[in-house]
Amino acid sequence: MNKTQLALKDIYLEDERFRTSYHFPLEKLMISLERTGLLHPPHVTLRDNRYILVSGWKRVLACLRLSLSEIPVFVVDEKDDLHAFSLAFYENLATREFSLMEKAEILAKLKRFGEDEERIIRHYLPLLDIPQTLSQLDDYTALAKFDPDVKKVIIEKNMSFPSLKLLLQFTRQDQKRLLPLISPLGQNKRREILEDVLEISKRNDIPVQRLFLSEEIQAILTDSSLSSVQKADRVRLLLRKRRYPTFSSWTDSFDSVLKTLGWPKDITVLPSPFFEEEHFTVQFTFENLKQFKANLSRLEELSSHEDFMKIFQLK
Amino acid sequence: MDRAEFVPRRVYIDKESLGFALTQRILKNIGQTPTEIIHDPQGFLESRKISRDSLKHGRKDMFITLQRGEFVKSCPCTPHYIGCNYFIINLDLNCPLECTYCILQHYLSDPIITVHANLDELWRQLDFFLKKNRDRILRIGTGELGDSLVLDHITENSKDLVSYFRKKPHALFELKTKTLNIKNILNAEPAPNIVISWSLNSSRIAESEEGGAPSVEERIQAARQVSDKGFRVGFHFDPLIRYSGYEQDYKRVIENLMDSVETDRIAWISFGSLRFPPSLKPIIQERFPKTKIIHEEMIKGRDGKLRYFRPLRLELYRTVISFLKEKGGSIIPLYFCMESESIWRDILGWVPKGKEDLEAYLSAPQRKLIL
Repeated sequence: MNKTQLALKDIYLEDERFRTSYHFPLEKLMISLERTGLLHPPHVTLRDNRYILVSGWKRVLACLRLSLSEIPVFVVDEKDDLHAFSLAFYENLATREFSLMEKAEILAKLKRFGEDEERIIRHYLPLLDIPQTLSQLDDYTALAKFDPDVKKVIIEKNMSFPSLKLLLQFTRQDQKRLLPLISPLGQNKRREILEDVLEISKRNDIPVQRLFLSEEIQAILTDSSLSSVQKADRVRLLLRKRRYPTFSSWTDSFDSVLKTLGWPKDITVLPSPFFEEEHFTVQFTFENLKQFKANLSRLEELSSHEDFMKIFQLK
Repeated sequence: MDRAEFVPRRVYIDKESLGFALTQRILKNIGQTPTEIIHDPQGFLESRKISRDSLKHGRKDMFITLQRGEFVKSCPCTPHYIGCNYFIINLDLNCPLECTYCILQHYLSDPIITVHANLDELWRQLDFFLKKNRDRILRIGTGELGDSLVLDHITENSKDLVSYFRKKPHALFELKTKTLNIKNILNAEPAPNIVISWSLNSSRIAESEEGGAPSVEERIQAARQVSDKGFRVGFHFDPLIRYSGYEQDYKRVIENLMDSVETDRIAWISFGSLRFPPSLKPIIQERFPKTKIIHEEMIKGRDGKLRYFRPLRLELYRTVISFLKEKGGSIIPLYFCMESESIWRDILGWVPKGKEDLEAYLSAPQRKLIL
């Protein structure tokens, strides 16, 4: 491996065979380069008489943005793509954490360059902090197959592994339909929407597109008075009801009884989780005997209301 | 696999199990099936875990090895729901029937069909266990981590098990199956404490979700033959599965069952609705992408498993059990597998005070025979 100066224009960046990082911010690196220069030269290698990048995409792209004309590089004399790629891998392994999508790209490329599957599982997965199973390898390599624009959103929105595994089960078109909707939400709600859409679609044999064209969902999506977060949240609640129709109707009935009774907000009454048990829980706080008795008296009054008995039909 | 008798694709033999009679019996019964001696069983199983071939064909391969731990264990049941104090014998592990909902896909890390050859150790452990529990009538069986009879044409284990337990009247021994592999049973002498059980479902579920198993009608006919031979039989409607039109389908299978098998020959019938740990769901989805049963309205129960929302379970049980009672099934001991007190109370009208209570209820006829 020789260190030399190379004109940036002589690095053929169209060839991304070794690239595993995309959509990263360059601003801080540019400041660093301006102050200290390029302390760690990228690695390049020759393919078809052109220098292509083995490692150091961020550094090279930052140098380009800074309009540098030439940079120091290490020239890797390695004809075998797998060997060259593993060199890039080990260089990065020592210096930084890989993101979820970078891990996916690394594993997909190891497979593409012909690395033995068993060796990937036994050797590379632990280095990437991934459990050593075939299904984990399959899951990660599948992530690398997302369309580039989908990958961009995934990286920018830092989507979680469980959500991505769900997203993989949709068609490319549906992925693009769903991403803008779920992006404004937190990880758990994103996953909830993806799960619910999948379940409803599979259970009722409804294509995702048709589900989204339903009147109720369209009314939410086209309501200009709602923010993107509000739209996503309303669609989420609607999907929940469709996925769990019986449970939702029980929850609605319970809430409706409380509303009819004018149930006080400072006394909590809850069914068991998912009405799985027949009991209910009442909770209130008190600081003295007077408050305690006042709450009991309110409960006594509520229980004498004829609608109170409707609660017990929900068990 | 098809619905004929299971023939392994390849048989791997742990070299330490070569000297056992069961290994030799299996080798005699598998004919030309390729075999391979395994010198490092641990390494063999480890490498299979990451083998694509194993993932795809694991349930077609057989591994003869030694049980190095305990053969007899208490059935783990599930937390927060009523258990039945059942004991399981871990003789064979895994099953080639490929039912979509099978818990073994999640429970056993390697899909290979495993047969334990050191039966002398099994008898030793059973002697000790039964002696320790001689003051009660316990229920014990082999059908938890595999189908009790699916390998019986190869292992012939049922012969030894029936002959062993015939001499242990304080143990109610159950062989649980979905197969028609009853040749060895029909050649055995019945005993009141030996129960041969079939898992039943609606024909539609059997066809769509139990692809490797014989039809429900065939299972009932097999049960009838075994019952006619003089054995007591049991049935497990587990997992009951909801779908549009399930009522009529379950009605038909119950009518068929009650018309085919004498009620007084039925030791028990159990019911359980579809349930599984959430982590099994992606496995089912991946292995059986066409199945719809996992997409029904399921909630997380108190044990963390996904199960139908309680009113839906109640409706399912009420419907199926009412058909059974209409057909004269009121005198048969009925029980639920992994269900809550409220379900027991609402459907069967009583709640066992504990698992010992349920054990006593299910073994009551046996107790009468012994005392």
